[in-house]
Amino acid sequence: MKRPLSLTARLALLFAAMTASLLIVVGVVLGRAVEAHFVELDNHELLGKFALIENHLLTSATPEARDTLGQRLDDAFVGHDMVGVLLRDAEGSVIYAVHPSLFNASQLAGQRLPEGIASWEKDGRDYVGRERTFTLPSGAGDASRVTALVGLDITHHAQFLDATRRGLWLGISVAAAVAAMLGWWAAHHGLAPLRRVTATAGALSAARLGERLDDTDAPAEVHELVEALNGMLDRLESAFQRLSDFSADIAHELRTPVSNLMTQTAVCLSHPRSAEEYRDVLASNLEEYERIARMVGDMLFIAKAENGRLPHPDETVELAAEARALVEFYEALAEERGVKMDVGGNARVRGDGLMLRRAISNLLSNAIRHTPADGTIEITIADEGPQVALRVRNHGDTISPDQLSRVFERFHRASPDRQRHGEGAGLGLAITRAIVEAHGGTMTAESADGVTTFGMLLPRAPAQPFGR
Amino acid sequence: MKILIVEDEPKTGDYLRQGLAEAGFVVDLARDGLDGLHLALDGDYDLMVLDVMLPSLDGWGVLQTVRRSGRDMPVLFLTARDQVEDRVRGLELGADDYLVKPFAFSELLARVRTLLRRGKAKEPEIYSAGDLELDLLRRRVTRAGVKIDLTSKEFALLELLLRRQGEVLPRSLIASQVWDMNFDSDTNVIEVAVRRLRAKVDDPFEPKLIRTVRGMGYVLEAPQPR
Repeated sequence: MKRPLSLTARLALLFAAMTASLLIVVGVVLGRAVEAHFVELDNHELLGKFALIENHLLTSATPEARDTLGQRLDDAFVGHDMVGVLLRDAEGSVIYAVHPSLFNASQLAGQRLPEGIASWEKDGRDYVGRERTFTLPSGAGDASRVTALVGLDITHHAQFLDATRRGLWLGISVAAAVAAMLGWWAAHHGLAPLRRVTATAGALSAARLGERLDDTDAPAEVHELVEALNGMLDRLESAFQRLSDFSADIAHELRTPVSNLMTQTAVCLSHPRSAEEYRDVLASNLEEYERIARMVGDMLFIAKAENGRLPHPDETVELAAEARALVEFYEALAEERGVKMDVGGNARVRGDGLMLRRAISNLLSNAIRHTPADGTIEITIADEGPQVALRVRNHGDTISPDQLSRVFERFHRASPDRQRHGEGAGLGLAITRAIVEAHGGTMTAESADGVTTFGMLLPRAPAQPFGR
Repeated sequence: MKILIVEDEPKTGDYLRQGLAEAGFVVDLARDGLDGLHLALDGDYDLMVLDVMLPSLDGWGVLQTVRRSGRDMPVLFLTARDQVEDRVRGLELGADDYLVKPFAFSELLARVRTLLRRGKAKEPEIYSAGDLELDLLRRRVTRAGVKIDLTSKEFALLELLLRRQGEVLPRSLIASQVWDMNFDSDTNVIEVAVRRLRAKVDDPFEPKLIRTVRGMGYVLEAPQPR
């Protein structure tokens, strides 16, 4: 596969092409102007000669004067080596000639020039010429009309133009080459920070994710790239950290139940026992397995939610209806603990009904767990501007601020012995947060003076379905 | 009832076969996709339990060919990945239900029985077990002639236990069928609900009908007269 041209080479070529085309345009315009100027100059000179000739013809009314015409014209054209003159009378015979060698044979033979300025070539030299007919003053008899043909040798003009063009081409080539070199140098020099960034990025590894790219002397464009890359590194590092924590959490949380299972099974096998005892151990094992399976499932769920890979049906969810269904579900449990539940307000959000129900369920079961007998759990749903809030409020122990900030973390438990009461692995609130964040919402937690409130703030109508 | 299991993981396959056979089904086990497909096309099965990841021909291929051949037996597919795409694809190809590994065997058994019951004889209007009677139309429950007052959810729970009496119903199935909660709650809410139902239906009477099967769930069963 052919690699595309490097940026440096492209910039060098671009500069060269730009310089060359610019100079070519300037050169062409300049050449045209010079040429036009020369034409103007030639015309002017031709007209000057005609004026001279006319002057002499007008003073040749008498035959004496006419006899001296040739002499006078010779005097007038002395030193004008590059001018040729032919005078013809009405019959066409040449009555006077200066430097006739610069005219063509046909012109000498009497052929008329076209109107205006004519140009021709002879013996490798360039000429322009013009013709004009003069009427002599009366009394001159039959020779009253004289035709004058004036030719100018303009070879030096052409030579000058040629030399100028050659110079121009040379100049353009040199300028283009210099521009290319300057472009190459600027690009090479300008891209140096990029090469440094590349070198740093190449040296980064999973173990050195904490390093950042240096942008101290980077130009603005590269500066943005470096910022973007550093932002990416930040996100990668935190995702990587989460992943490591995730593995560590799982390992840690699995250790206890697996060790229990091993001990229990080993002890059971160490002596012959009755079928009843074996059944008991197997049933106990099954309960432990189910706890592990549920934990693995919950962890996977959180991982998927954090990676935006949840299913994302975009349905309208009535929060009050979900809350009431859950109150019905937990009614027996709450009644047994002497806890009342109350739902107030309503709001609609868009999202996944099953997920949101699960999120609210965890808030509710958490509240039931922490509400003392005769307490009431209040679920309030309200529109709050662009957001919708569902809050679960209950009386109970105040959660200290440092605990409160960690309450949505995985495997966080209010007290270390919580799991022994068979009440989940401390993933409930983490799942709730994952679901709410996947819906573009945020969680809140407040606790003061024996009243704890957990809230989920959801966008009223997300512009886009969440996930992906 | 004949069930075909297509599962390549040796232990899982063996235990599924044993479990379903002990639950009273006639079970065949195929260990790869092609064998499974041949059995499914030749044998006359009432239900197929199909793993998605299989050697030689994957579960999707088996399912598609089976459905194209016009066989409409219920198919319960097993997937190791809890992927929505898997679920959607499976249901599009004509699967009837799915379970994500790891699953509880009691859950599988309950799903299998649900699928086999589907489209069968009309449900009766009165269920009974021993001297317990539940009248669906009049929404009345009596035991030994005594009327028992139940809340609507207690009634739904008892109806489920009666309708599927003799079957061990896992907690997740109860939560899903009675309260429409399709996720595991991290509380013992089902235990409490069953306990409260027992207090009304079983505690004042003998013999006890609702039994806890440790680690698996609940079953309502009238003791066999000896």
